Amino acid sequence: MGNDDYALIRSVLAGEKDAYGLLVERHSQSVFRVAFRITENEADADEVVQETFLRGYRKLDGFDARSNFRTWIYRIAMNCALDVLNKQKAQTAAPIAEEYDSEQAAVQVVDHTAGPDRLLLSQEIEVRRQAAMEKLTPTERIAFVMRHMEDRSTEEIARALGVAPNSAKQAVFRAVQKLRQSLAPLWVKS
Amino acid sequence: MKHLTEAEMIEHYYSEDFYRAEAERHLQACKQCAQSYEELGKLLGCLRTPDIPIRNSEYGIQVWQSIQGALRPYEPKRKRSFFHWPQFAYVAACMLLLAGAFWGGRMWEHAHTKSLVADNPQQTKERVVLFVLDNHLDRSERLLVQLNHAGAEGENADLPLQAEAKQLLSDNQLYRQSAARANDPLLNAALDHLERVLLEVANSPNGLSSADIARIQQEMNTQGLLFQIRVLRTKVSEQKTNAQAVRKGANI
Repeated sequence: MGNDDYALIRSVLAGEKDAYGLLVERHSQSVFRVAFRITENEADADEVVQETFLRGYRKLDGFDARSNFRTWIYRIAMNCALDVLNKQKAQTAAPIAEEYDSEQAAVQVVDHTAGPDRLLLSQEIEVRRQAAMEKLTPTERIAFVMRHMEDRSTEEIARALGVAPNSAKQAVFRAVQKLRQSLAPLWVKS
Repeated sequence: MKHLTEAEMIEHYYSEDFYRAEAERHLQACKQCAQSYEELGKLLGCLRTPDIPIRNSEYGIQVWQSIQGALRPYEPKRKRSFFHWPQFAYVAACMLLLAGAFWGGRMWEHAHTKSLVADNPQQTKERVVLFVLDNHLDRSERLLVQLNHAGAEGENADLPLQAEAKQLLSDNQLYRQSAARANDPLLNAALDHLERVLLEVANSPNGLSSADIARIQQEMNTQGLLFQIRVLRTKVSEQKTNAQAVRKGANI
């Protein structure tokens, strides 16, 4: 697969633009998957996929033959997703999520009993999870998604974000701490 | 008994801890830590992304169709005949001339001057490193001072700050790697801390608000970092002065 990718890249650089279409077809699904995990929005994920392959094409002459195209395009996707998150954060004047009120949450959860309330609790957790994720900085969010959802190692996260491994690890710690602060009371009460 | 910190528990959860067996033993022995770890596990266990929407097999083709209009084909690299003789002769003549001038210069230098003390290349390298590091620390210190006062200055104070942070970030990575190789833990730790702050400032969205600045100041302890950088600068300046004194002494 890797060698095939490199052969296609050489064709593109030799002037065969359509060879890049085969690379897009081959990798677009996996790029979409990671873009959706980060943005949690279908339209944004589609935008990230398009932007990733556009940027990838423009930077293709700088591609190192020793690298893996999948890893390389994945890293570009991370940066595109980061840009989308930054843009959204800049456009959001008011905070998206309401401040967490542990007392209120406790009342909501304690009132629930078995059965359908379980569903309500899951919905409550989901709403809180989304709000908590919104509170993370883009770097923390990407580091957490890669570590927790994509099961990537600290070294891979650091390479994708272009930072030191220790910085990547700290970003994951801060993300978990913030999520814990937002969600722990709700979970304990449940 | 030393309890596990939150960071250690998170590392343990993701199986990234160096002393895994030790942490496991502690969790079996300590109820308090075991309970905290269980809560952390439950919390992280419930954090999953919503189901990923399915994209059909034509998705890749659709993406390609949407972007291909914006792409210009690469121009194939033309093979050049390097040994095209008039050009080759010209280059060879220039190289010969340069080599002759170099050799003549060396001979003249040997004949007419005798350096009392040859500069040690290691010392020269050290002076250059100290100079650029001092400059980097100086710029970082100014950025931190601006950052610590930025919250009070209003909304648009961050724009030059972010541009400066982006420039400093790439330099800082090189100095940190160099400090790690030189086995200088104090400098390495400070540069690592600085890198995290620069990263947050550089990657913050446009129009960094006062709240964002306050958060970075608080979460990353920028006041403490500023103090660290000032101490390091003093140290580097002293080393620089000593290196200059040694050089002057050697030249006398």
